[in-house]
This record gives sequence, C-alpha cells and structure tokens, in this order.
Amino acid sequence: MERKIKVLLAKLGLDVHNRGVITVAKELRDAGMEVVYIGNALPEQIVAAASQEDPDLVGVSSLGGAHLSLGRMLIDQAQAAGLYPETVFMIGGVFSPADAQKLKALGFAGVFPPGSGREEIVGFVRQAVAA
Amino acid sequence: MASTKPTTKEILARAAGGSETPLYNPQALAQIKAGFDAWREASVRPADRENWAQAPATVLGSEIPRNMLYTPLDVADLDYARHLGNSGQAPFTRGVHANMYRGRRFTRRQLAGYGGPEDTNQRIKFLLDHGATGISIIFDLPTIQMYDSDDAIAAGQVGMSGVAIDSVEDMDRLFADIALDQVTVSLVTHYPSNSALLFPMYLALAEKRGIPWEALKGSIQNDVTLEEVVRSGPEYIPPRDCFRIQCDNMEFIRRNVPQWNFQTLNGYNLREFGTSAVTEMAVALANLVESMEELIGRGLTADDLGQRAAFFWSIGNDFFEEVARIRAVRRLYGRIMTQRFGVTNPRAAWMRCHVQTSGVSLTRSEPLNNVVRAGFHALAAVLGGAQSLHVDSYDEAYSVPTEEAALLSLRTQQIIETETGVCEVVDPLGGSFYLEALTNELESRILDELAEIEGKGGYVAAVESGWLQARIRDYFHRERERMERGEIRVVGENAYQGETKLPEISVFEYPEGVEERMKARLGELRLRRDNAAVEAALKGLEDACRGGGNLLPASVQCARVLCSEGEMFKVFKRAFGLWRPPALW
Repeated sequence: MERKIKVLLAKLGLDVHNRGVITVAKELRDAGMEVVYIGNALPEQIVAAASQEDPDLVGVSSLGGAHLSLGRMLIDQAQAAGLYPETVFMIGGVFSPADAQKLKALGFAGVFPPGSGREEIVGFVRQAVAA
Repeated sequence: MASTKPTTKEILARAAGGSETPLYNPQALAQIKAGFDAWREASVRPADRENWAQAPATVLGSEIPRNMLYTPLDVADLDYARHLGNSGQAPFTRGVHANMYRGRRFTRRQLAGYGGPEDTNQRIKFLLDHGATGISIIFDLPTIQMYDSDDAIAAGQVGMSGVAIDSVEDMDRLFADIALDQVTVSLVTHYPSNSALLFPMYLALAEKRGIPWEALKGSIQNDVTLEEVVRSGPEYIPPRDCFRIQCDNMEFIRRNVPQWNFQTLNGYNLREFGTSAVTEMAVALANLVESMEELIGRGLTADDLGQRAAFFWSIGNDFFEEVARIRAVRRLYGRIMTQRFGVTNPRAAWMRCHVQTSGVSLTRSEPLNNVVRAGFHALAAVLGGAQSLHVDSYDEAYSVPTEEAALLSLRTQQIIETETGVCEVVDPLGGSFYLEALTNELESRILDELAEIEGKGGYVAAVESGWLQARIRDYFHRERERMERGEIRVVGENAYQGETKLPEISVFEYPEGVEERMKARLGELRLRRDNAAVEAALKGLEDACRGGGNLLPASVQCARVLCSEGEMFKVFKRAFGLWRPPALW
C-alpha cells in the first residue's frame, strides 16, 4: 500500500481570507492525504508545527499582500531549522506574475494564484512528494 | 435550540393579507392563460417545454430556476400599490426616493488604503481630485486584526492591502488637509471590535480639530458576521460579547453622532467568502432583527434606529437576479421595519445600500475581461437603485489596484452615470413580468432563510453553534465542484480559453519602509505621551468591558490620551476571554 502523503497547511500571518486554504485542505484530504490545518500562523509557528508534525509538504495561503515578506521569512526559518529543502513548500494566494516568479525563486516549488484547479494542486503535491 | 418566538416570516404573514387590487383582471388572465397554453403547445419545441425552467449556472448565484418566457401569469396577483408603489412610497420596492438619481446620483465611492497614513492621504486626494464623491478607507491586516505595527505578529504585513493606523495621530495624518465635516467617510472597520477601537480615534480627531460630532457624516461596518464568521484570524472574542460591542457601537453613535451610519450590515464579504445571493441577505437581516430587539431593550426606538441602518451588498454576474435582489431586500426591509417594528417615519423603512461589484467573480486570466464584468455588475446595481457604488478594478487578482486601474473603475461609474441615460428614469425595469416574478421569489427565499436562522435560536446562536459557518462552507465546496465539473462557466477560465500567457499589466508596488516608519513612530509615541493617563484610560476600558454599561465612552477616552489600537484590543481579550470558532474543513 502506498504511504499516505502528509500535508501541513497554514494561513500566513494575519491574512483574513480562508476560503482558498479550506478548499485546498478538503481537496487534498479527499485525494487520500493526511491534512493538518493550523489556521493563522507566523513563519516561526509554521516551522515549529512542521518540526513536530513532520509533513511531506507545507502549504501556506496569503491573499493579503504579505506573501513576499512572510514567504521569505518562512523559507529562511525552515532552512535554519533544517526543514528546507527536504520538505516541499507551496503557496497559494493573490500574486502578480512577477511576484509568482520571485516566490519560486525563494523556494516555493508550487505557486498557485487565483483560478488554480483541483487537479493542478493535487497533482503537484503527488509529484513533488514523489520526486 | 428550538425557538418558540414567532419568526419574522410568521409576523409578516399575519400583517400581509391578500391582494386587494390586482393589476390584471381575472378575465384578462384567463385569456392570457388560454393563449399561452395554445402557444406553448403549438410553437414551443418539446425540448424547450421540458426544460422550461432552468437555473443559470453563475458564480455566487442563487440557482433559482428561470422560465423561458415570463407573462402576466407569473405575477397574476400583482397589486401595484401593495407590492410596488411609486418610488419613495412604501413598500419602497421601486426606490427610497421619489426622484432617485434625478435628485441625487449614486455616490461614486472608491476604496483607498495602503502603506502608511501619508500614502493613503495622497490616494484620497487623487480620487477626490478626479471626481470621487465619497471615500472608503481600508485598513492593513494588523490594523483590521487589531494589532499594533510593532507587534511581532505584524512583521512583514504593515501597510499591506490597507493603511496602517496605530493611534489617533495616524488618523490625523490619514485625513491631513481633508475637512472632516465636508466629506462623507466610510471607515471599513469590518468588525464590531475594531469599530469600537478605530472610530473613537476618528471622534477624538474631530474633537482635536474642533469639529462637533454632530457634523460628521459617514459610516462604519460593525458587523458580527465579519468578525466571527467571515474572518480568519488568530484570536476571537466570544460571539455574545462581540454582539454586545456591536450594539454598544450602534447605541453610542446613534445618541452622539447622529448623522453617522452606525452599522453597515455587510453581506458583501459574507457572499464573497462563498455564499448564495439569498443567504447573503438573510444573514444581514437576521443580525438586524436581533440588534433592533437588543437596542429597543436599551431604550432606543425603531424609528430612530432605522434611519441610520445601512447595508453593503455584493453584486455579481446574474444580471437580472442582482437587480431583483436589491429590489426584493428593499421591500422586505421596509416590511420588517413597518410590520414587525412598527416604524412610522418612512426614513426608518428605507433600505439604503452601498454596493461593491463582486471581486470573486473576476479572473486572473485575461484580466481586461474584468473591466466588462465589473461594468455589468455596476449597471445592475444602478438599475436596482443602490445609493453608493464601488467598482472593483480589473487587476484585483494580481494586487491592490494601481492608480490607473482605480481610475478606470471610477470612470466606469461616471460613464454609467453620465453617458448611458439610465439615471433619468426611476426603477426602469419595474413592471417587467420576469423582474417582478424574480423579485417575489427572492424576497420569499430570503424570508425563508431568515425564518430558518430564527428557528435555530436566532442570529447569535447560529454563529455560536457553527450552523452558519457550516452552511457557508457547504455552499462554497459545492460551488468549487460545479466549477471543476465545468457546470459554472467562466470566460477565459474554463470556457473559451485562450492562450494561457498572462498579458503585461502594470502592478501596484507598495511604498518602501512603511513598517520601519510606523514602528519608529509608535515607539516614539509611547515615550512621549502621558503614560499614567494611558494606564488609567485602559483600566477604565477594562472596567467598562466587565461592567454592564456601554463601553464606547471609555474607548473614546483611550483614543484621546493616545492609546494604541493593540493596547485597547488586549483589554478586550483580557475582559472577554477567547473563543474558538468551529473548524470549517
């Protein structure tokens, strides 16, 4: 039997919009993955939760404009804690095309702007974890 | 919890009675029916007869089935005086003013807020210089969630997607060179809690500038739904306490700032979070009814309160449904205020609303398509008789709107207002068989959902139990499924897809150094101010929270002596404790 993929999800910082992350949580769970959603959390809280939960992938959601500042802190702190690059990171939210490129360069393997479909996201997680 | 109190639906049913003077006489209807049946048999294809009623599959729609053709038979009992009336006459279906836009155009109000208060002050002046007639201020994430700019939790988020405000001094910078008694200002303080912290800063600023509170015009949102249901945040106070703060705001403002709208029941954010056209309005009315009861218990009258109630709706894709919805809720609100609360002042029965075009209905792919979408949304709002309008910008799925995109949104409003001629005739779609049938159906469905909430023990109980949250979650999961299946079609997204390449549009760039500037400023303020007065004011606020009276006088005092928003919110958390909202996934 295939091992269950474990995903940790969080809302990045103080962003108020959670429809997207709740939708992704449900879709990953429906796809047979184990999902832990910790709600709003700062980078250090996400890193602490990831250290404890040991997920295959960490996904964060940011629609409030702070994706670059908090995204950078998250990857830096994950690296300092030895989580990155072993653990895959993905991010969803409202970004300009230029910012989406910057997020990829920062270390988010998956970057999902508005309009991202279920297959796109579920497929990415399966592939990224298998790789 | 089952409720034994009569629902609003039951109360209105008692008051309703039948149709006294139907518009169509029975003989005419019989003839129309005979002709219609024969036509349907002879001229309508079997496939169309089978699918006679079809629900449009639209983003955030109600899924009300629509007939292929509407006739007088669909509004057979229409009684002009009882169901429509002339504009400015009860039940106000056709508009709250006799002359509507001939007398006063809709307020062209655009949102502004990013960076520090000086940055947003520039955007406000830009919009006013280009003919905006009202201003809506949105706050950054730490301010909206009630943390100071120098709180660790605010790191990296100061001045993002709104303006950073920590104290009355920032409020002063935000409104530099703007006469508070000359503009109408909507402070988009979504929550009761931050309304009780930020609006006092506005009041303290007016005092400092020597402007009497009686001269201030504008609105706050102040809606429990936003704080406890729609919001994702790290800390929540319990719904009952949140409701008390909401009512404290309403009471204090009604008694002391008479021209200010003390609450803007916000269907918008609830709907955009993901709920139907019907639920959006039912929830707002459920909160209204419960707040009215509470405030009448505090000695205010429905006549007095109704004059300052305001609503904020999301208007999206399903064009006729959106026009009908505004008319339906206007009639229903009028009926609730007169038949349930017995108001006699017509103003108290006017459903006045601000409309923002739907952001969720916009797409990232082919962003210029959004200009067209928002134009239709805005036109629906105007044909529905909205008082005030914000048109979303085409770049919403990318960032905070650029100045160019914000101007195009304002121009969209001005083109509707100046060039299309739609403002010359009041309620131009009124009397359409289709629109009137849809208005009736929507009103009845909103009333049914309101009764359902009241049956659950009322609005606050439905929030506390998580019932409301579950209803919303079920809606948006289902909508996502329908999008995935291609049942709901969106041009450029899952229908008529073109090249996936994103066009080059210029994107808003946040000003640099805002966080450092705000932190330094707040640090300096904490050293400079009278900290003994600060402590005393915060203690006063805590006593007010724990005591039974209205807490607003204490929060105004906090604002006067330069308490920060975060310091005041800490008092709320200490006094009320924290609440864990239900998990939504």
